[in-house]
Amino acid sequence: MRLPRLPRPVLRGAGTLTATAILAFALIIAVTGAVITRKAINVSFAEQTRIERAQLTLERMLKIQLDEENYVRAYVITRDPSEIDSYRATGAQFVGERNTLLQILQQERLTDALGALEDYDMAHTDWHQQVADQMLRRPGRGVRELEKRGKTLIDSQSDAARFIEERLDAKNREVLASTQAQIDSTLYQRMVWLILFALAAILLNGWRSRLTTELEDERLTTQTLQRAFQSEHAPLPNCRIGSAYGAASSHLAVGGDVFDVHQLSDRLGLIIIADVSGKGVDAAVLTAFIKFTIRGIALRRRDPGFILQEFNRAFPRTVENPYLFVSMFVGILDTWTLRLDYASAGHDIAFMRRGNEVEQLAVTGPVLGVMEEPFDVKTLYLDDGDLIVLSTDGLTESRDLDGNLLDAAGAMQWIAEESSDPVNLAPRLIERARERSHTMRDDIAVLAIAVQRATAVSTTTRTETGSAEESAPAVADV
Amino acid sequence: MFKRLLVAAFVCCALMAQANAADQCYATRGMHVTLFGGVDDPDVLVWDSRDRLIAYGAGSMDTRQFLLPHAMLNAPGTRATVESCIANVVHSKFRTDPGDAIGVLITSGRYRGRYGWVSSSDIRGNGIPEAQEPW
Repeated sequence: MRLPRLPRPVLRGAGTLTATAILAFALIIAVTGAVITRKAINVSFAEQTRIERAQLTLERMLKIQLDEENYVRAYVITRDPSEIDSYRATGAQFVGERNTLLQILQQERLTDALGALEDYDMAHTDWHQQVADQMLRRPGRGVRELEKRGKTLIDSQSDAARFIEERLDAKNREVLASTQAQIDSTLYQRMVWLILFALAAILLNGWRSRLTTELEDERLTTQTLQRAFQSEHAPLPNCRIGSAYGAASSHLAVGGDVFDVHQLSDRLGLIIIADVSGKGVDAAVLTAFIKFTIRGIALRRRDPGFILQEFNRAFPRTVENPYLFVSMFVGILDTWTLRLDYASAGHDIAFMRRGNEVEQLAVTGPVLGVMEEPFDVKTLYLDDGDLIVLSTDGLTESRDLDGNLLDAAGAMQWIAEESSDPVNLAPRLIERARERSHTMRDDIAVLAIAVQRATAVSTTTRTETGSAEESAPAVADV
Repeated sequence: MFKRLLVAAFVCCALMAQANAADQCYATRGMHVTLFGGVDDPDVLVWDSRDRLIAYGAGSMDTRQFLLPHAMLNAPGTRATVESCIANVVHSKFRTDPGDAIGVLITSGRYRGRYGWVSSSDIRGNGIPEAQEPW
């Protein structure tokens, strides 16, 4: 029987990681895209603002030129010196405006417009020197020629100004188109990414749903197997038996805990509790394997050490999974003499309560599936009212809210505190473990057996009629 | 024979090109127009030859100053009659679209009765679109 190890939890973990990575990546893309777009828009707005400022500056320069002309003409006509003052004051503003425009054109790297501005500036200076100053110095003399000269210079300025204006308009259109293209590009990129992410998310979600369904199916299967194979006990003479099984929280896979009480003969009973490492279907199937294999071996020879040794020999050959091992307690109880022979393969959650004293039953060998070694057998002579309590490690490994383990000492304390009736004790231990942990991370199986000495008549009768093997169970063979 | 045909074809082409150029002129012979420059300076320079008009349009400031003695400065509103028009020959350093050279007879003002050449951007009249002046 080869039991394949299922990689689904690993896959599920990887799926969660991938989904998280995809979402994180999508978030980064979305945020980065928004930041880039915002930056591009800001840059565009700043550039547009500069261009508009340049256009207004150019307009003011032309207005200054017109004002200067008007002041000069007014002086020629009126000879009013205040016109000269106004002319000079207006002219002083021109330099500031020209510098502003020059700076913006340099920022925008409009070299041809810079050339035009140079021509404009030169024509303006020439107009001052060759026309305006001449007219102010000698008003009324050679006006016609001066006007002609002024006309050419102003034409030059107009041409240059028109050219600068055209270049600014073109630049503005270019900036708008570039911004629009960048926004469109970012938008399309984000749309494509989002569509890809949405598709990936849909696929991933479907995959995860399928995995979850499979896991749930597996769990249901495992629970069904567990219900079918484990956790039952037959009544034994002179014994009161209580048992309980506490399943781990529902989102966790089921464990491989098993116990069994089986009557081998009129007076002998087989007691088993075992804990398979691992969880899921593998462990659940193994519980059935353990239960019936142990029963089969016990029918051949009622020696707990032999039973464990035989099982230990068969286990690795059957399971062929080097990572699986089993801790197990096997006891043969003579219900007439109350002698218990037991062997424990690494299963230390076994206790005997006598009165209010609780004693831990010693381990007699290593866990099964690790190495082939003989197992010691220990014998207990029980008294009337003695209680044997067996459990799986879910009990001792239950943690409180601070993460502290209950441990064997805590379990012994609980056993001592609880009722001596095994039917009440077993479920109470699980209840207390559940209260302690809130979330049970492992299954717990508890088997409690209280022995009662048989009446003298019956004991005698049975002793007399009993076979030789039954009077000495630890060494008997079938 | 071939030579004659070639010359005839060349002449036809030249005439067609001339006709096309003339067709693109808005101003036509006999049209009454008014001289008006830009808003910056509405006075209009009328040149004594077409070549000087073209040279003025394309020239630097120095060239323009040099050409000035050959120009008549007309006040805005001076009336004139179109005598001829040659399309797209007046180029400017800073203008992408060339203007037309228009031969006019000045019919009012100081230079009344004088002939001269003026750029199409400096005339207004029925059927002639206003020069695009942004200011």
